[in-house]
Amino acid sequence: MSPTSGPAQALGDALAAEYAAIWAYGVIGVHLTESARSAARAAEAAHRARRDALILQLSAGGGQVPADRAGYALPYPVTDRASALKLAVEIEERTAGHWRAALPHTTGADRNKALAALTDCALRATRWRRTAGVTPLTVPFPGRQV
Amino acid sequence: MALGGAAVPLTGCDLFDRDDESRPPDPLEPLAAEATALEARYRAAATAVPALTERLTAIADAHRAHAEELRKVIGRPAPSGSPAASPSAAAADPDTVRTELRQAEQAGRDNAAKACAAAPAERAALLGSIAAARATHLEALK
Repeated sequence: MSPTSGPAQALGDALAAEYAAIWAYGVIGVHLTESARSAARAAEAAHRARRDALILQLSAGGGQVPADRAGYALPYPVTDRASALKLAVEIEERTAGHWRAALPHTTGADRNKALAALTDCALRATRWRRTAGVTPLTVPFPGRQV
Repeated sequence: MALGGAAVPLTGCDLFDRDDESRPPDPLEPLAAEATALEARYRAAATAVPALTERLTAIADAHRAHAEELRKVIGRPAPSGSPAASPSAAAADPDTVRTELRQAEQAGRDNAAKACAAAPAERAALLGSIAAARATHLEALK
């Protein structure tokens, strides 16, 4: 199995978070309309791109590539626009956390990629807060678990 | 009198410093100073533009939190000689205020991203969060 720490483990955790985010956006999107639904679709596509890049990267490294799961447990029922937007913010913050955790385990181009992913997640979380009318729009330390 | 003696104080300084166990400046000093300067900018702008006070104050608080965390990592208080952040009186026109803040924030974001790329492992996560936070500030200023 994979080591308990190190680059492969950190990137494997980021991949697992990306799988979960992609799955969650399937649930989120159906409760949104118009521009919010388009934004959900774009977010899902962005997570798919990160997923694909991670699978390639981990495969090239010869390590174990974690598999996707058939489904994920939602933290609460997602039944309407409000709960969908709440989940969208949380999914982005959670995924940001996994990319943040990868930073110490990476260097050079790989660290820049992890930072770009962390930043993208943080930006989407901010945009979802704006869509939901939540303030403040930002958190002081994106990805840091409190 | 200053001309002839120019070399002497330098030599004296070197010797003194060695005795004083002084360390070279931490590479994160500029980033910490920038966070403090950004906080001051946002506070001034928050006062100048009441319509933006809430949003700008939240961002000012974030910059202060960044400065505090950076100081902890550096392990020393701010150098006493560091210039007090003295933003020029902020313009009262909201669009101008936003444009100026965005320019400063963009520069800050780039600096934090560079610092993250260059940092040892134990500093990378904090610097990554600061870079990402500054990116979200740009978004919130839209």
